Amino acid sequence: MNVLEINNLTKKFGDFIAVDNMSLTIKEGEIFGFLGSNGAGKSTTINMIAGLLRSNEGEIKILGKNIASQSKFAKRNIGIVPQDLAIYEDLTAYENVRFFAGLYGLRGTELKDRVEEALKFVGLLDKQKSLPKNFSGGMKRRLNIACAIAHKPKLIIMDEPTVGIDPQSRNYILNSVRQLNEMGCTVIYTSHYMEEVEEICTRIAIVDHGKVIAEGTKEQLKAIITDTKDIWVDVKSNDSLEESAIKEINGVNTVQVEENVVKINSQAEVSNLNKIIQYFINRNIEIRSLKEQAPNLETVFLTLTGRNLRD
Amino acid sequence: MELWIIYTKLVVVLFLAVSYAHANVDNLPNIVFCLLLYISMNSILYVFSKERIRQGILLGSVILICLSFYDVNPLLILLLPINFYELASPFIKVKWALLALGLIPVFYLPEAEYLYGLVSAFSFVLFTMATRYSEKMMMYEDKLDKMRHDIQRLTASLNENQEYIKQSEYTNRLEERNRISQQIHDSIGHSMTGALIQMEAAKSLLSLDTEKAKELMQNAIAISKQGIEDIRITLKNMKPPTEQMGVQRLKLILEEFSVKHRIKVPFVYKGNMDMITPIQWKIITENVTEALTNALKYSRATEISIEIHVLNRMVKAEVKDNGKGAQRVVKGLGIMGMEERTASVNGTVIVDGTNGFSVTTLLPMG
Ligand SMILES: Nc1ncnc2c1ncn2[C@@H]1O[C@H](COP(=O)(O)OP(=O)(O)O)[C@@H](O)[C@H]1O
Ligand SMILES: [Mg+2]
Repeated sequence: MNVLEINNLTKKFGDFIAVDNMSLTIKEGEIFGFLGSNGAGKSTTINMIAGLLRSNEGEIKILGKNIASQSKFAKRNIGIVPQDLAIYEDLTAYENVRFFAGLYGLRGTELKDRVEEALKFVGLLDKQKSLPKNFSGGMKRRLNIACAIAHKPKLIIMDEPTVGIDPQSRNYILNSVRQLNEMGCTVIYTSHYMEEVEEICTRIAIVDHGKVIAEGTKEQLKAIITDTKDIWVDVKSNDSLEESAIKEINGVNTVQVEENVVKINSQAEVSNLNKIIQYFINRNIEIRSLKEQAPNLETVFLTLTGRNLRD
Repeated sequence: MELWIIYTKLVVVLFLAVSYAHANVDNLPNIVFCLLLYISMNSILYVFSKERIRQGILLGSVILICLSFYDVNPLLILLLPINFYELASPFIKVKWALLALGLIPVFYLPEAEYLYGLVSAFSFVLFTMATRYSEKMMMYEDKLDKMRHDIQRLTASLNENQEYIKQSEYTNRLEERNRISQQIHDSIGHSMTGALIQMEAAKSLLSLDTEKAKELMQNAIAISKQGIEDIRITLKNMKPPTEQMGVQRLKLILEEFSVKHRIKVPFVYKGNMDMITPIQWKIITENVTEALTNALKYSRATEISIEIHVLNRMVKAEVKDNGKGAQRVVKGLGIMGMEERTASVNGTVIVDGTNGFSVTTLLPMG
């Protein structure tokens, strides 16, 4: 089932086009990544999905229903963690979550249970009586996540949730994304950090200047550029080396020996590093260093756009 | 819209007729005359399409109603609101002000003020509904028109593309044929002639010098063998070098541009250029040309570099200048044209003005 469907979405600010005729489909169970540099249009798209901004053209459907005509249904099924935190500094953590959950019509004991559940999920149950004023950036972000998930939405949208927080909180957040996903949530995750996106997302759209310029799993995205990887093995001596034997290893395309460096070009999707290392060990050839050069999403972005994700 | 207003008028007129029929009024002929005059004025309205004339008639109708209100029968004022809305709506944009103005006479009426208020409100509701409805219709029609226009243009460009594909297939075939006949003439033709001469000689020597004849025959056999081998090789190299065609064509355009406008246009290409299809070449060439023209017009650049890179699953063609760039790109017809062309083969165009100005065409392969 399609949790989200975007068709020809366009948003203009004056005659500047922030989101440009974008179309996307996100299926149930995905952790969908929006990867793009600052100003690519990620937040603008998300704000339109959340109903905070009106589009100029195009349509957005949540679980098959148009958000323009069924905004209540959409709101109930989306939980959004905005890029700019939305919490009240002078309400306690508990009151904050209760306030947001209350907006979705939760009442009484159900409300109480859900609020506690959400606080527990983000590890802030023991801080429920504290004011977020005194929280670190990471804790505030986690509190904001609790506010977004208390009403158990089908689709959770997180907009750059790891910007400006400590590594520990970052790991905590990445783990909660995985956990939420295992619990059946579909997640949209935007970031300009390719490592994060590569780590947790099942499918990724690379956005630039308001357009989706490539879309797919990380393997598919890398395959746009190349389907090979280079493995360079620096050995002590190449005396007992047999190029043809290395070529026999599954996936290996070419082998070149230059001085003490064995340059192996291999198919990217075959994981044969172990077998290659095994070969050197079996021949008693000492490996001094080993370097694997496979494309990452940063290289994909750079190759396609000529620019870096972060400048 | 007009139909709704006519119905409203009709309802009011009928209402008046019924109420006069029940009450005994003394100057019935006059009233009937007024009503008939009103009906004819309001019917004649639809004969004219000029806005000025219609407004004149409406004004006449309003005056008629006012006159008959004073001289004939006060109840006739009920006809006023709808005419008033019709007359005033082009000048008063705020709906509520219109209603308020329409209601003013309520305070000056000697009798039947409630009835007037009711009719006035009723006419207002119907009138606004009718205008809103017609505005919506107009908007939809506009949209439909725009879409029709788009479809037409896209179909045209699709046809053009298909035409181009056919064309280039034909050109390829022609070039192929030329190449083959050239080759046949150059190598195989020569060997066959050589073999023929040897065999002719062998034939005339056959009875005189068998040894010599044998030798000549052997030569002819060797030459024929070589000829067959040549045919095989010629046929094997059959695939036309589209790569060369595309690259050469683009190089030519760039050189010409560089000379004509005295600007450096370095061109590099990487990857297996054979993978680029003729239609992709067409789009790349057109986008590059367009981007070059733009750079010349806006960038004040001293160099415009062109790169074509064939990746594993995509072709990338980039035109980048070292000019002043643009913090916020506003799309004009040129960029939109490139986008449309590119979208026709499922590609995208990235326009970036943050560091000089660059236009990148990405086309999927396979
Ligand atoms: N309210 C606004 N008015 C004008 N421009 C805006 C507004 N909001 C965003 N933009 C512009 O739209 C572009 C996309 O912004 P945004 O969606 O925030 O990108 P991202 O989230 O990918 O960093 C940027 O160039 C930004 O400056
Ligand atoms: Mg953002």
